[in-house]
Amino acid sequence: MRWRVIRLETRNAYSNMAIDNALIEGQKSGASQPTIRFYKWLPSAVSIGNFQGMNDEVDIDRCKELGISYVRRITGGGAVYHDNKGEITYSIIAPEALFPKGIIESYRIICGYVIAGLGSLGITASFAPINDILVNGKKISGNAQTRRGGAILQHGTVLYDTDVRTMFSVLKISSEKISDKMIKSAEERVTRVKDYSDVSQEGLYEALLKGFTSGKDYDFGNYTKEETKRAESLEKEIYSQDAWNFSR
Amino acid sequence: MEGSAKVKVPGGKLVAVKVEYNSAIEKIKITGDFFMYPESALGELEKILVGVNVGESEENLAYTVYETLHRSRVTMIGVTPEAIASAIKRAVSK
Repeated sequence: MRWRVIRLETRNAYSNMAIDNALIEGQKSGASQPTIRFYKWLPSAVSIGNFQGMNDEVDIDRCKELGISYVRRITGGGAVYHDNKGEITYSIIAPEALFPKGIIESYRIICGYVIAGLGSLGITASFAPINDILVNGKKISGNAQTRRGGAILQHGTVLYDTDVRTMFSVLKISSEKISDKMIKSAEERVTRVKDYSDVSQEGLYEALLKGFTSGKDYDFGNYTKEETKRAESLEKEIYSQDAWNFSR
Repeated sequence: MEGSAKVKVPGGKLVAVKVEYNSAIEKIKITGDFFMYPESALGELEKILVGVNVGESEENLAYTVYETLHRSRVTMIGVTPEAIASAIKRAVSK
């Protein structure tokens, strides 16, 4: 199995989500190669889980004030702040058969690539089911997975030096979620690569690249014309539309 | 009448329900940070729940949720039919 790796690229929120969507569709039809992509968001953005209420999770006025985009993901899970300067997102899109059928086991394997990357920087991270990666008990990476038509898509974020203040000024954190963790402040629940290492963001990307590609045959590549066309259409018709983003 | 409730699934995710109802559910929105696929199943479940009598027991509600999702071969992670039923029951009991 030969993988395609898309080097770290920067796109707007709608385009990033449209590409992931187009790639899982391509996987289903057999037109797309198994792919690992790394990306950043410009402008910075909040992505919410497929089943979340946009106004429940995101301070839209604050986002508008700060020029931060907001988008609903294809995947479930929670709201994430993607700081343009302080975070790297990955996606892995492949035939489901390449990963364990068990959901938690497949999260464990894919999150293991992130953990291996962080490990090569001297950061000891661990998988915390269902879908988090922790360092010293604090979240450094959130991940979300879906499966359809025999294909798997998992995407996730790795916090580099995310502006945590801004993060929690645009995200509305429910008291129920925090009370379960027995921690008062949401800010105390997250940590960043920069808190443990002097590595540059480029260095973090290289480490993640190594973590994801270790033991795999791969080539660096780009999207096909068909994938690009489909992503552009999904961006225009779905991901940039309030009808999708405010559907819950 | 309108009601809402949130349930945190132990070791799982948060599920929230907003309901408009009289003797039966007239409108319902289920939200949360859980995982469910195919994702379209949640909208289908909401449609099925419209018209359900609010006096139904939590157990019966959970069975309706289970049956609907099971029929669509839905995979749920971080949420259960019981949690959704519990949130509905709380939302209509306030």
